[in-house]
Amino acid sequence: MTIPSTHLFIQTLILGLLVGGVYALMASGLTLIFGVMRVINVAHGAFLILGAYFTYWLFTLTGLDPLLSLVITVPLLFAIGWVVQRYLLTRIQNPEQASVLVTFAMAITMEGLMGTVWKTTLRTVRPEYALSVIELASYRLPITRLAGFATALVALILLYIILQRTNLGRAIRATIQDRNAARLVGVNVEMVAALTFGIGIATAAAGGSLLSMIYSFNASSQTDWISRVLSIIVLGGMGSLPGALLAALVLGIMEQLTAIVITLYWSPIVFYIFLFLTLIIRPQGLMGEVVREKA
Amino acid sequence: MRLPRIPAWVWIGGALSALLAFPIVQRSQYYQHVMVMTMMAAVLASSWNILGGYAAFFGLGGYLVALAHNQYGWHPFVSTWFLGVVVMGVALILGWIALRTHGSAFVVVTIAMVFIFRIVALNLGDITNGARGLTQPRPGWGGVQWSPEIIKIPFHYIMLALLCLTVLVSWRISLSKFGLGLVAIREDEGKAEAVGIDTMVYKVLAFGISAYFVAVAGGIYSYFFTYIDPQFIFNIFASVTMVLIAILGGRGTLWGPVLGAFIMEPLGDWLVGTFGGTQIHLAVFGAILMGVMLFMPQGILPSLSEIGIRLTRRRGPGRPGREAEARQDSSSAAGT
Repeated sequence: MTIPSTHLFIQTLILGLLVGGVYALMASGLTLIFGVMRVINVAHGAFLILGAYFTYWLFTLTGLDPLLSLVITVPLLFAIGWVVQRYLLTRIQNPEQASVLVTFAMAITMEGLMGTVWKTTLRTVRPEYALSVIELASYRLPITRLAGFATALVALILLYIILQRTNLGRAIRATIQDRNAARLVGVNVEMVAALTFGIGIATAAAGGSLLSMIYSFNASSQTDWISRVLSIIVLGGMGSLPGALLAALVLGIMEQLTAIVITLYWSPIVFYIFLFLTLIIRPQGLMGEVVREKA
Repeated sequence: MRLPRIPAWVWIGGALSALLAFPIVQRSQYYQHVMVMTMMAAVLASSWNILGGYAAFFGLGGYLVALAHNQYGWHPFVSTWFLGVVVMGVALILGWIALRTHGSAFVVVTIAMVFIFRIVALNLGDITNGARGLTQPRPGWGGVQWSPEIIKIPFHYIMLALLCLTVLVSWRISLSKFGLGLVAIREDEGKAEAVGIDTMVYKVLAFGISAYFVAVAGGIYSYFFTYIDPQFIFNIFASVTMVLIAILGGRGTLWGPVLGAFIMEPLGDWLVGTFGGTQIHLAVFGAILMGVMLFMPQGILPSLSEIGIRLTRRRGPGRPGREAEARQDSSSAAGT
């Protein structure tokens, strides 16, 4: 246990914030999907890794910059997500219970396929600027994390605009609030669900592209990532987008602080300890509503 | 088609004798190994069926038994039954926290538990030997090591004993007021509470009982492999597979999880054997699970018994009692 100096402390806060921004993007899609469809997409981690691998592929085959590759990966995974929802998930008869298991089976399938295609070697996308650092008032900001944070921010703002300013966004929010009422006023709930799932998976694609240059990954990393993003949305309150953003930042910062104050090895546990504490004190999460069992 | 009705005791007796005779008839080490793992999967799936979280307690049992063996020389075949009680105590405390959440959040919490245990095991290197894992001496009894030809056989019988105990306890629970309460909770927790069931106490108790069997299985497992490490034993994939096995066989039925294990575990082994080397076996396994979840959401056993009811119904009038009985069977089974 070491008490960090003020300088180190602030440096850690900055790093935590940067990581938290990327976490926020990753978790936003998951919480949105849950909000609209009451489906926990356990395959979200696998989609993140899929996005990361597409980025890796584009980078090694064509030298395309990981940030630019979003232009390809995001629409591609949006399409995949739309198809998966439309043709697979709609077949689930009892979504609240069975969706966890179906999407888990999907995650295993995807892990197996990705492991077959890309083998088990740990990969990272390393553009030329991968190791450069910007110094700002004696604080060091790694450029990949900064770019990751900025991209996540842009993506989240886009998501916010879609949700707040478009008809689709209004339909999504209406469906989150009350599915049946939304249907009554003419919202095509099935279409909304498919599009939301597409959007959710598209955010995973963006998150995956960012992940690919900050972390090393292989197919089985998906379990680590799904547990992180799940913790975030539970902490934030399942289905609450602002909650997920707040929780992502909190956990990002706490994770980095633990790495400094205790050791790197203990830092992942922060997620889960936080999860437990939240559930004891506030089972509905930071900003979630108490979910009533509906008959 | 007329289906002769075979009494339950014939089925059970037949299956039990087959399992008792198995290692004597089948001398292949490979098949003996698969059978031990299959029965273990049946134990895990059945205990999940009582009221499961994911198997953080499997690893905990494994570690306690391995440590007690290495430090104090307690024989795993004996100690696992007692150390399981310790794990059950831990489960009661953790269950009291985790069961404040419902539905999906509970799933997430129990998954998080697995990760917490894994990280703790990785980092408490002085006790658990960290990522290098714990090794136990080669299995034996009273200072005599079992020779390689017969080494799987003791494990076969102890796992069979555990399986029988698990099924027996599940059966007793399903007949009791406690079991009825659990059914009510599963169907509608709010209403169960409204009619005066102390849902928290019921759930925590069921969680503890389920953890006991899982922990005992973990203890046997750690001795069977004589090696455990945190990555391997606190494994989300393995524990969710057990859930899928239970659901596949038929959630809430007594024999569904057992049946599911006897189908899926050998199938999984066969897939690894056939497609081994690449990870394609994982993809195939996942695809099969997904198919069953989507097209047979009730599980195999309830789907079969529905077919059975349809067949008995075709017998026409004159024997209404049988039909009602069959219906009752399936409905009570579906609810346990």
